[in-house]
Amino acid sequence: MKEARTKSKNELLPGTLEMLILKTLSIESMHGYGIAQHIQMLSADVLTIEEGSLYPALQRMLAKRWVLAEWKTSANNRRARFYRLTTAGKRQLGVEESRFSEMFGAIMRVMKTT
Amino acid sequence: MGSVLRRLLFFFQRNQFDRDLEDELRFHEEMKTHALADADGLSEDQARAAARRRIGNPLRLREQSREPWRFATVETFAQDVRHALRMMRRDPGFTVTALATLALGIGLNTAIFSVAYGVLWRPLPYPNPERLVIVQSSQQTGTGVRTFSTWSPVSYEGLRPRVTTLEDLAAYSSIDVQLTGRVEPLQVHALDVSPNFFATLGVNPARGRAFLSGAAAPDDDRAAIVSDRLWRSSLNADPTIVGRSISVDGVPRTLIGVLPPDFSFRPVVPRLGALPEADVFLPNRWSGDAGQSAFLWLLGRMRPGVTRERAEAELTALINDPSIVSAGALGTEGALAAGVRTRARVFGLQAYGTESVRALLLILLGAVSFVLLIACVNVANLQMARLSARRGELSVRMALGAGRRRIVRQLLTEAVVLSLLGAALGVMLALLAIDLTLPLVPQFVLPRVGGIVIDARVMAFCLGLSLVSTLLIGLVPALRLSAAGFGEGLALHGGDARTTGDHQGERLRTLLVAAQIAMTLVLLIGAGLLIHSFVRLTSLPTGFESNGRDGVLQIVRVTLPERLYDKPDRIHAFARDVLDRIQHLPGVKSASVINSVPFAMMFIQGDFQVEGLPKSTLNVGLPKIEAGYFKTMGIPLLAGREFTAGDTAAAPKVAIVSERVVREYFPGGPREALGRRVRLWGNSDWLSVVGVVADIRQRGLTQDVQPMIYAPFQQDHSGLVRFVAFVARTATPASAAEGIRTEIRRAAPELPIESTRTMDEAVAASLAQPRFRTVLVALFAIAATLIATCGLYGLMAYTVTQRRREIGVRMALGAGRGDVLRLVLTHALRIVVAGLIVGLAGAAGVTRVLQRFLFGVTPTDPIAFTIVTLLLMAVGLLAAWLPARRATRIDPWAALRAE
Repeated sequence: MKEARTKSKNELLPGTLEMLILKTLSIESMHGYGIAQHIQMLSADVLTIEEGSLYPALQRMLAKRWVLAEWKTSANNRRARFYRLTTAGKRQLGVEESRFSEMFGAIMRVMKTT
Repeated sequence: MGSVLRRLLFFFQRNQFDRDLEDELRFHEEMKTHALADADGLSEDQARAAARRRIGNPLRLREQSREPWRFATVETFAQDVRHALRMMRRDPGFTVTALATLALGIGLNTAIFSVAYGVLWRPLPYPNPERLVIVQSSQQTGTGVRTFSTWSPVSYEGLRPRVTTLEDLAAYSSIDVQLTGRVEPLQVHALDVSPNFFATLGVNPARGRAFLSGAAAPDDDRAAIVSDRLWRSSLNADPTIVGRSISVDGVPRTLIGVLPPDFSFRPVVPRLGALPEADVFLPNRWSGDAGQSAFLWLLGRMRPGVTRERAEAELTALINDPSIVSAGALGTEGALAAGVRTRARVFGLQAYGTESVRALLLILLGAVSFVLLIACVNVANLQMARLSARRGELSVRMALGAGRRRIVRQLLTEAVVLSLLGAALGVMLALLAIDLTLPLVPQFVLPRVGGIVIDARVMAFCLGLSLVSTLLIGLVPALRLSAAGFGEGLALHGGDARTTGDHQGERLRTLLVAAQIAMTLVLLIGAGLLIHSFVRLTSLPTGFESNGRDGVLQIVRVTLPERLYDKPDRIHAFARDVLDRIQHLPGVKSASVINSVPFAMMFIQGDFQVEGLPKSTLNVGLPKIEAGYFKTMGIPLLAGREFTAGDTAAAPKVAIVSERVVREYFPGGPREALGRRVRLWGNSDWLSVVGVVADIRQRGLTQDVQPMIYAPFQQDHSGLVRFVAFVARTATPASAAEGIRTEIRRAAPELPIESTRTMDEAVAASLAQPRFRTVLVALFAIAATLIATCGLYGLMAYTVTQRRREIGVRMALGAGRGDVLRLVLTHALRIVVAGLIVGLAGAAGVTRVLQRFLFGVTPTDPIAFTIVTLLLMAVGLLAAWLPARRATRIDPWAALRAE
């Protein structure tokens, strides 16, 4: 029981994490920590992005060429890896968004019928 | 594609990747530490610890980050390979046995394949070799199709300018020459060739030039081209050699070219094999020779797009046109019957004359593939035994979630590793085997020895073999695994597992061992047949006495060149003179001369006619001999008299016939033949038969007895007496041979002596080929027997261990040692007999392929079948004997207490 509760806080629908990262990067290029912060902030701390999911997801997206990475200097003058959306990534964002809203609409319809 | 490339790049940049990820995480950790420190007011250390806790296990994170970049299959494969190597290290007994067996199987196959490929299939080292052909002729006669390999120079001269389907038509004829001048006197193989010979092959000398042809050809009459081999070995690789003079058979010639190092042309003679590589090439135009002294082989290059049938049709039309070549002058003098249509036959140079060696090599390939099959079955069997032992391990792995497919893949990977290692060892073994045995291969057996190398193609074949063996040794155990409920193995993993056993697996293993025995029997029977046939062959009477109470037969051969001995009288005088001298040499009991010595390459035959009878359909051997030949050879005289010194050119013409001729033509026996007259081909004289002698095997033990009609050497006026062989019976062969050679040198100092050997050596040489194949097949059969015996031994040893408790109980209940011994041996015998029955049936079907190599033995020879079967049964029982003895030593108390 306890497990179910803690899980529900963080668990995202499948594929959602990648969509959120893509959305975040469509605003500006950002490092991993920045992405996590950004999502947590905008979701008012509801969505916490775990490092254990974030970095593998970023590597997946790199492998699929949705994002590119380069080392740059961060705002506080540190070397950090910045991720940037590619054209393929932008296209993928569109795909994910429409798939998500479809899914979301479907779930809402189910929930409303009772 | 792009993603594969990126992943590959990743594969090579792993370290960079790890460093980047580490940097990135450190940055993340630092940011987080700061954030925590600011927000919750923690000290730096506390904040860092908290940050680390939040980030979690960095190793797992790294693993997961790598995941998207991986080739899942490759990495699992690598894992499986590592596991397989670990398993092999842990069980060195198994590993060594399996690898040795596989290396033997794959090595033998690779070696034999490299020989077969090099000899039969490797493209010849000339441009467009598929267009090169050998031209022969054949005639349909009353006795069947007669084929003639060689042509007379006049027919060549008639054909060459007229033929249109061939780009070029060259002629060659094999000779031996003596080199002097620039080098130590040296006897070498040479080819007399038409000037366009090298142009036809499409080969250019590496230094100098080829012979001129056409109108310029006569300028080259005193030229010579040498092989790279001779140039390096005897001419000190002198770079300025071209243009210098060298003496060939006492005639100075200008050396105009040195051939490239990889040049190879071994003239192939059907039924005999390939002659040695020539080292000297002499241009010859044989002008005006109608076939008295030169026999030419014709080598053509077809025009592109021309088929062999079209070339045959054109050549046949040409040779039957009497305005081009008169029928009688087509082949060797008188060899072709007049008035019968002669057909031209065209054979591809690659396949020409290789029928016999092709059959041999295919049979050897078949034999070694049996060895490999047996080896694979052995390894599969060992794997199965290990599988039983590893039931526990595999069951645990399955219980832990390894899928059945994953386990099967693991087993197949183990098979791949074994096979590849076995193949690697096998290639080394093959290299060694080829290096060691190729020099021992008798001359003539293999044409194109130069083509035998282990190259990419042979390696590809070897890899293919290891693939096949992988499937054999991996799939059988893997299938077993799927059949057996291995999930239950875990429950049985305790002490019970051993007594319950794996009945199905054991049955399969028994079946495999029986199959091994069956295949071994087939191989052994093949070897047995060849051995029996070989024994028969060696016990055949030659018809003459190659050694005996009066000493051994010694032969010294010379050929009298046309330019020095243009008249038969001079040849007669030479032979008579030398013979007179050697008859008086110390140690020489008797001596004589013949122009075609038994068991030698040359054999002169033709048809004949008995006066008052129609022309014979039988071909007879037609040697010319001096007085005392039969006495020297030990050939019994059945009636009449031998030739004597009185049978000179001026005396009445006489002949001696062999028993076989009497049987065919004189039903009244030897007496009836005496006084009758015969006429031999190429000669219109009638000869009176003055004697009858016993038959001999003139052409070798593997050939049938040939009818012979002998005529006096001194009465022959054809060029064929220029081939002179002195035969002497002597108790001191070495010194007598030296004496004969000295006498020849005294009579003709410039004459090269072709060969000196005893008749025993000639007989042994004629057996070299059958001995060679018998030894090879016997070796393969022994290898197979060893492997199969190991297989049977392994199975029985395993069974005894399995049945330890049962045997213990039996002994406790009063069974004696004899009973236990019988129990185990009966079990083994059942397997062996089952294998033998299948093997016998298989052998009866398969041995037919050996037909052409068997003499006086049928492919289902009962002696070979019986002896070999009993032998294998005995070996099988012996293999079972050791485990059976161990079974009798089982201490019943210990066996029972162990449970």
